[in-house]
Amino acid sequence: MQSDTIHLIGVYLKTTAKAWFQYRVDAIMRSLAVFLREATGVVVIYLTLMKFQDLNGWNVYEMLFLCSLLFLTYGILIIFFTGLRDFGNTVRKGEFDRYLLRPRGLLFQIIFVNADWFAAVGHGCLGISLFLVTAGKVGVVWNVGTVLYYLFAVLGGVLIQGAIFLLLAALNFYLLETDSLKELLYYDMKKFAAYPISIYSKVIQICMIYVIPFAFVNYFPAQFFLRKQDGAVYPFACLYLTPVVGGGVYLLAYLFWRYSIRYYKSSGN
Amino acid sequence: MDGLITVEHLHKSYRISKRGKGIPGMLANLVAPKYEKKDAVKDISFQIAEGEMVGFIGPNGAGKSTTIKMLSGILYPDSGQILVDGKVPYRQRKQYVGNIGVVFGQKSQLQWDLPVIDSFELLKAIYRIPDQTYKRNLARFTEMLDMQEFLKQPVRQLSLGQRMRADIVAALLHDPKIVFFDEPTIGVDVVGKETIRTFIRELNAQDQITMLFTTHDMQDIEKTCKRLLIIDQGNKVYDGALSGIREMYGTTRTLDLELQTEVQVAPIPHVTISRPDDSNPRKWQLQFDHHAVSVQELMGFLLATYPVRDLNISEPEIESIIRNIYGGRQSE
Ligand SMILES: Nc1ncnc2c1ncn2[C@@H]1O[C@H](COP(=O)(O)OP(=O)(O)OP(=O)(O)O)[C@@H](O)[C@H]1O
Ligand SMILES: [Mg+2]
Repeated sequence: MQSDTIHLIGVYLKTTAKAWFQYRVDAIMRSLAVFLREATGVVVIYLTLMKFQDLNGWNVYEMLFLCSLLFLTYGILIIFFTGLRDFGNTVRKGEFDRYLLRPRGLLFQIIFVNADWFAAVGHGCLGISLFLVTAGKVGVVWNVGTVLYYLFAVLGGVLIQGAIFLLLAALNFYLLETDSLKELLYYDMKKFAAYPISIYSKVIQICMIYVIPFAFVNYFPAQFFLRKQDGAVYPFACLYLTPVVGGGVYLLAYLFWRYSIRYYKSSGN
Repeated sequence: MDGLITVEHLHKSYRISKRGKGIPGMLANLVAPKYEKKDAVKDISFQIAEGEMVGFIGPNGAGKSTTIKMLSGILYPDSGQILVDGKVPYRQRKQYVGNIGVVFGQKSQLQWDLPVIDSFELLKAIYRIPDQTYKRNLARFTEMLDMQEFLKQPVRQLSLGQRMRADIVAALLHDPKIVFFDEPTIGVDVVGKETIRTFIRELNAQDQITMLFTTHDMQDIEKTCKRLLIIDQGNKVYDGALSGIREMYGTTRTLDLELQTEVQVAPIPHVTISRPDDSNPRKWQLQFDHHAVSVQELMGFLLATYPVRDLNISEPEIESIIRNIYGGRQSE
């Protein structure tokens, strides 16, 4: 990145922070709210899992380990993809006009104008602490290889979810609204991904591997460390494919996005 | 000299989706799209030379904003060509937009919660404006538009007139070669409008910035532009000198006549005679086309025939000429 790009990111950050501190109480309340909401979520998952004791061979900590990957990737995701997640509003209000009028990359602007650092801190902290606790409990052995694997898996997981947001964002150029589709393609899939995919029907499993590859965000990376019995039915290579799948689907979504911009209609006054 | 801006057979239609929301509506849309097509710009061509200042007018929904959005690279045209400063706006967006400034009077580009100056600083970083240029422009424009006292105020506290001035400066800080103004005086009071007009005129004269200026206030045009471009329902209906429009459409003259006594004015060929004031039977109004009727002969005739006390001939206001051009299509 060029130095003036980094400088601009800094100015965006300063601007966002300044706007936040116009409503100081609001900002603090909001990050607290994010943290509490997510933490409650974790507690609920914990209590639910306690009931099962064992789900297709996964114990409570193994399943929390599975979940920690969701939290962690989401924490990183919303630093960079909040603008794409909420892109429908931007398009409907015609605010995409402004991005198009600036001599800067479109995705670059969407990402850094809307970067949600506060919420990211909330999600990220939760993800990391959940991960640290559970990784110890499930007996992950750390060495250079596993650390590298883990970093790439997180990166791939962020890209997979980012690609879904990017795809949905591009669809806003064609459709009146994409909120219900986002519910289906992202949030519902994410809820499924909180449990080992082997507990679901064949259709949902296929969907989560081949259509909306959420299984690569957390199930397969978790399997890489845990090697639970239920994973034996899936191709062995899946354990290593997260970064490839991430890069691949992101590229596809990006090409679709590039193509779709021409259909932007702006808005009348 | 060739045009800095060349537009040829520009066409753009909006497809308005007729399907509902939600997953069912969306699926239906993907399977069997149902659209209503609305031609916003039908077939528009024009050229604008470097340093020109062109008024761009037309009634509501004529397609002005749509044209400006295509010129500034926001919208892709359906067909036709646009070449501005050697670039195709929607294809070479990143290189192109650094050279233009756009003001949408209806939509601010300033950060709502922050002081005006913070938005300017942000633009400085976005456009990579060198320190010196930035300082020089900021000092010059704030002086010209008298903005010193509200530079540090949050945008949400500004009056509409102040916000508009700030928005205009925001579009100019990076020294654009071409500026598109889409209703930069909307909602601004008389004094504010005058400030903006003077500023725009001086900028055009001093810096040779090429400008396209959309407004619904004909005074804006009369005080800033020499050339006028009128569009209506997506088509160009006039392109030429502001003065020329009087020649073409404003050929009606009104002659107000006051007589010393109550005499009936007899019919005259090609002249419409009416009584503008029922309470005063000595007052008459005569309307005629000055190409069909010679003013000199008519006046001679009137003075010789009637006991004239007062007589006044007026040209139509540019405002009412325009109204006639717009209205003309409804009667067709
Ligand atoms: N984003 C959009 N989607 C659908 N139709 C649109 C959109 N923008 C404009 N239109 C339609 O296209 C036509 C031209 O609109 P446009 O905004 O270009 O007119 P205008 O000349 O700027 O009018 P005004 O003086 O009211 O600003 C109008 O009929 C309008 O309803
Ligand atoms: Mg308009």
